[in-house]
Amino acid sequence: MVSIHVNGQVQQAPDRDRNLLSYLRYDLGLTGTKPGCGEGLCGACTVLVDGQALRACQTTVGAVAGGSITTIEGLAQNGALHPVQQAFVDESAMQCGYCTPGFIMAAVALLSREERPSSDQIREALAENMCRCGTYQRIQRAIDRAARVMGGAGR
Amino acid sequence: MNEASQSPKGGLSIVGPVGMGFLPQQTATWLVVRPDGSVTAYAGKVEYGQGIRTGFAMEVADELRVPPSSVEVVLGDTDRVPWDWGTAGSQSTATVGLQLRKAAATARQALLELATNRLDLPVTDLACGEGRVVSRSDADHGISYGELVARQSLVRDLRDDIELTQADEFEVMSTATQRVDAVARVTGRSVYSQDVAVPGMLFAKVLRPPSFGAKLVDLDSSVAEGMPGVAQVVRDGDLVAVLGETDEQAEVAAKVLRAQWDEKADQPSHWDVPDILLRTAREAETTQEVGSLEDGFRTADGILEATYYIPYVSNMPMEPRAAVAQWQEGRLTVWAGTQRPFGIRAELAQHFEIDEDSVRVIAPEIGGGFGGKSFYTVAAEAARLAKAAGQPVRVAYSRAEEMTWSTFRPAALIEVKSGFKSDGTIVAWDFRAYHAASGPTGQIGRVRGRRGSETPYAVQNVKVAVSFSDSPLAAGSYRSLGGAVNHFAREAHIDEIAEAVGMDPVELRLRNLTHPRFRRVLETAAERFGWSGAKPPSKRGVGVAIGLDVGSYAATCVQLNVLASEVKVLRVTAALDCGLTVNPEGAANQVEGSIVMGMGTALYEATDFEGGRVLNAGFTRYRVPRINDAPTIDVALVGDPDTPSTGAGEPAIVPIAAAIANAVFDLTGERHRELPIQRHLR
Repeated sequence: MVSIHVNGQVQQAPDRDRNLLSYLRYDLGLTGTKPGCGEGLCGACTVLVDGQALRACQTTVGAVAGGSITTIEGLAQNGALHPVQQAFVDESAMQCGYCTPGFIMAAVALLSREERPSSDQIREALAENMCRCGTYQRIQRAIDRAARVMGGAGR
Repeated sequence: MNEASQSPKGGLSIVGPVGMGFLPQQTATWLVVRPDGSVTAYAGKVEYGQGIRTGFAMEVADELRVPPSSVEVVLGDTDRVPWDWGTAGSQSTATVGLQLRKAAATARQALLELATNRLDLPVTDLACGEGRVVSRSDADHGISYGELVARQSLVRDLRDDIELTQADEFEVMSTATQRVDAVARVTGRSVYSQDVAVPGMLFAKVLRPPSFGAKLVDLDSSVAEGMPGVAQVVRDGDLVAVLGETDEQAEVAAKVLRAQWDEKADQPSHWDVPDILLRTAREAETTQEVGSLEDGFRTADGILEATYYIPYVSNMPMEPRAAVAQWQEGRLTVWAGTQRPFGIRAELAQHFEIDEDSVRVIAPEIGGGFGGKSFYTVAAEAARLAKAAGQPVRVAYSRAEEMTWSTFRPAALIEVKSGFKSDGTIVAWDFRAYHAASGPTGQIGRVRGRRGSETPYAVQNVKVAVSFSDSPLAAGSYRSLGGAVNHFAREAHIDEIAEAVGMDPVELRLRNLTHPRFRRVLETAAERFGWSGAKPPSKRGVGVAIGLDVGSYAATCVQLNVLASEVKVLRVTAALDCGLTVNPEGAANQVEGSIVMGMGTALYEATDFEGGRVLNAGFTRYRVPRINDAPTIDVALVGDPDTPSTGAGEPAIVPIAAAIANAVFDLTGERHRELPIQRHLR
């Protein structure tokens, strides 16, 4: 048994070798984090561990047990969307939506280390996430918008 | 029969024929106005990213004069919605969207008539707005839709001849509108078939053959059966699967199944495909014939011949196929993210020899499909395993399974011979396409290969012939079917004519185009792009191509650079005429997506295989466009709102590969007649 913090709650996970993505989705029912490739190459399973983006499919519960995990379900606070979520809505930065949670988590991680990323920084940081519907231009605009909104609130 | 027609809650139901002529004898409820004033629309289409849930809500809202937020759209659940043949060919807005508009307009007329008694005014003195019927002279004198339909169950027949709202009176349609499902998507609440879980569900890991056509000779599952968490190893004919309490337990146990296979020898490889296409070609079909090629070539100043080759590519939706099946008292429910829920229902009923009414297929949110998810064999696998286990079962493809055991856009080889005058007038057009067409969904191979084969240029002497060849891989449907494939050859060849006669490629196209809608999209795209005439290669890296698909006209201009054997597409301008554009935001999103997807096929993508094995069934060796590959895309939607809607999901993919190949030539002087370009860049 290992304790793990997920979206602000302490969970007791029975098996420290359990794949983190499987644990989140099938044991906790947090299905917003998606399986896409199982190789850490598509970013659909991106979660935050202590604010850093991590591919859930490539790690185990035990490996992140000391950390605090945030999934897409834990991003909105008190019913209000996170500015990155809101920006994806405002820019219609999605089609099928399957990659959307992973992109949003990766973008939140980027904006936590880089307040106003350049477009090259955005493209570099998100190059490991994949959107087959091809909404990249909108995703880039959404992150830029979120950066402006978050920067404005913080200064 | 659907949910609404059995609903005891009352309100006003609009009932009309289903299937758009496929099943004319059946009717179903398309729309219900409920006593609480809410509106529910029912459609057999599915949402896989294209935005029809939003588009349908907008259409109903505008015709009924209610806010879009009050319209719930129920899609893709065979127990709840009218029968539908499938979501493909960019037909949803043109057909079902129109049907829902008629249903909503019928409901509006019925509500007006109901209000005449209640308000003691003739219909001519009444108007609908904001979910109410009000007096034209006194807006305070009115009654809400909910009150009009309360405490009764009213049914009206959908009127096919009902007058629809004119374009200049639209309040919702034609205005860019955010997706109604956007918040569910950004919060992770949207449920895909990968996410479906039911109590008691077991996780299956299906034993896949090592190569195509391999037959299972012997299986020893004794070790696997003793592994932790393994409920059962099922063997049902050719279907073998480990059922585990968790996904990982099933996967680990499946690794210790000892299987002996009889593999099919001498299977073709990807490099054999061009030869196979030519050698096995049959059933040549003439899709266009005008004048006499002999006459045309005799009067030509110049003649060009070239061969183009387009390899197999993978649809590669982000969501690998998954299905959950549950049997309850002889009735089967399957959650499957398919584009064809009613088709899958029929297949399941046939397999289990039960009535279709005993099968319910629910298509939840679908994480992309691009045509391929009409083919959805995991649904039957899950159902067979659930039956054997007596428990609900989930089957989910891994990425490698998705890229091996689903379908592929069929390869094609296309020979073009053209004759032209020195002023650029094309006088002879001989186009022979050889499309791979067999496989599990091969019966519609002819439809695929024909699509987009005809030339839209006003040429006096034309012959277009399409043949169908053996397909070593499972040929399936992919955005625009053969449209993008045929267009690549044609539009790349047009650029070669421009080079041969020393003429600007936009000018050459306009010289040969008479169709006003085609001319308008090309002129619009060229102007917005800032196209300035020059003969190729101009060393600027610009390219152009046009396309016609699903009744919509498209033109695309690109600018690119080549650095260190990497083609970098910098910017793209696309113009689309799809008639009435219900949601410009959704249509623009589709155009952008089509361009990015088509860019992948132009530059990077090809499925490699050898000895019945796919060699690049994963992202390490199958490259698709990433955000740092994506160009800036400018979209011009030029459709006339009085022209009926045609498709927006596919047309923009048909010109993009040729536009890119032409731009590479414009920059480097290298002709690329074989895709993907980056494999052949010098």
